[in-house]
Amino acid sequence: MWTLAWKNVGRGRGRSLVTAGAVAAVVALMLVMYGFSGAVLNGMFQNLTRTTGHLVLRVKNAESVREFDLSLVRGVPELKAAIARALPEADVEAVLEVPALLAGETRSRGVVLLGLEPDGHLMKELVDKYRVRGAPPADGDGWSAALGLALAQALQVDVGNPVYAFAPGTDGLGAAAFTVSAVLDLPESTLEARTAALTLQAAQELAAPDAASRIVVFLPWLKTLRQADRLEEARTELAAVVPEDYEVLTWREAQPALAAILDMMGPMLLIYAVIFFVLAGLLVVNTVYLGLVERIREFGVIIALGADRWRIMRLVVLESLLLVTSGAAVGGVLGGLAVWRLAQGFSLPGTLAQQYAEFGLPVVMYASITPGQVLQVFAFAVLTAIASALWPAWLAGRLEPVEAMRHVA
Amino acid sequence: MPALVEARNLHKVYRADGVETPALRGVNFSARRGEFTAIAGPSGSGKSTLLHLLGGLDLPTEGEVWLDGERLDDKGAVARARLRLWKVGFVFQAYNLIPVLTALENAAFVLELRGLPARERSERARAALAELEMEGYASRKPNQLSGGQQQRVAVARALAAEPAVIFADEPTANLDSKTGRALIEYMKRLNREKGVTFIFSTHDPRLLEHVRRVVHLEDGRIVGEEERG
Repeated sequence: MWTLAWKNVGRGRGRSLVTAGAVAAVVALMLVMYGFSGAVLNGMFQNLTRTTGHLVLRVKNAESVREFDLSLVRGVPELKAAIARALPEADVEAVLEVPALLAGETRSRGVVLLGLEPDGHLMKELVDKYRVRGAPPADGDGWSAALGLALAQALQVDVGNPVYAFAPGTDGLGAAAFTVSAVLDLPESTLEARTAALTLQAAQELAAPDAASRIVVFLPWLKTLRQADRLEEARTELAAVVPEDYEVLTWREAQPALAAILDMMGPMLLIYAVIFFVLAGLLVVNTVYLGLVERIREFGVIIALGADRWRIMRLVVLESLLLVTSGAAVGGVLGGLAVWRLAQGFSLPGTLAQQYAEFGLPVVMYASITPGQVLQVFAFAVLTAIASALWPAWLAGRLEPVEAMRHVA
Repeated sequence: MPALVEARNLHKVYRADGVETPALRGVNFSARRGEFTAIAGPSGSGKSTLLHLLGGLDLPTEGEVWLDGERLDDKGAVARARLRLWKVGFVFQAYNLIPVLTALENAAFVLELRGLPARERSERARAALAELEMEGYASRKPNQLSGGQQQRVAVARALAAEPAVIFADEPTANLDSKTGRALIEYMKRLNREKGVTFIFSTHDPRLLEHVRRVVHLEDGRIVGEEERG
């Protein structure tokens, strides 16, 4: 039956080639799409966690706490030391966010003063990386701040000009003068209009000595979204060493909206896969059905010789499987090569890369696909082959041998 | 000896577009194991219909069909297919070879349906082709063979399976006289040595000379029967 099925596939050569070609295109396309989505997800994950960290320690239910002083993590040096003992490979940084009024000579704006550790990841990611001019804020003789470009324009200040911060009702000085040390072209325009970065020490002295809004933990070994189990293990280890008033969140819990966007990618791809394979399946149905119609007399002979209806149905399904898997094999090779090439690194064409950077996409991305996704694509191909053959197989199984042998195509 | 093939009061009526066409009208027929029997009659007498019913290809409108002790007419399509596969061989008037398969693959096709190992079915198919002087054409496809050669492959397909009974619908009609004689001799030898029962529909005098029994059919009724020494 294998021999017959295989030879039958090669019978309507043009039709079979078109159908197998369509299946190959769909399989290759799906592999590339999965590889591309892997690149996007990993890129977004890395970009996201560069600024949010992988784990975040903060006051329990911090988002619902209204009072500034109740939202603070106290005893930052001790906590950082405890975290370093629990997770020796981790990089740990404290961040203090102070709601304040920032004024230039003539104008003022409500802002968030972001206190960052001068040599930390966050200072590099949020200040160094987006610095248009000037130097990052540093602890020294006078305090300095890096302002978002939109904020600097709104306050009509630039590098070297003074700005004045007011944070009344806090435990620190409550007011201080800063020199604008840098202007930042941040990827998110809303952030750019209301952010001023300064050193953690400056922010603490202004509003909350020895305190932080959160302690951010970076896990250098966490490279992809798929290491969720290891992240959970790290969270458990960390949760064991922090006081009860505090909670440890994963990046997902700290950024649920962004995590939800990343999680949507899987179902969306699944929908695309279903649509593409249904379209390919229609072609397969057409090919298998025409193959049946052209060979009714032959099916009659095979039944007369002793093949029962189940064997006839199996023959039709087998032909469909061979047709589709041939196409899928070719598509698998082409798609695999394309994914391999994209895995070496690629950028979106033209200005798209810059535009999508706004949404957290890195400029250079690396395609990534899991064995599970490859299996899923091939499973779709096999399902398409079987589903497409069911109706023609059912028709073939109902043929009466004498009538079928009299059939004239 | 009990009958290997038996038809009791067999009626077959074809219905199409409200028109009924009787093909068989109360045929009683039996053949014992080892018989070499011909069903003779003019065109339209019902020979092919009778062979189809006896071989389980079709169901009678009325009456019973028995094959090797099993009633066929009350069996479903799957059970009848199984009986055909293991007990019945067919040689059709048209060659009815599978065009994409070689002569050897065609000859081995029933054996493949039976699930025999590739080596065994190849050996048996080659032997059957050799009996019909077709061993040199084993790798050819039907469209590379003449009509007579195709019919010989079709006969080889039935013979290779060595069934209990072979129903042959005008088996020598398209063969040249040398091949026809070889075919008849082979079948007689198979009948004599292995006890295969042959039932033919034919009016080929070359074949009628070799049969022991001729049943004459006319207008769907048996009108005569003769036994020959």
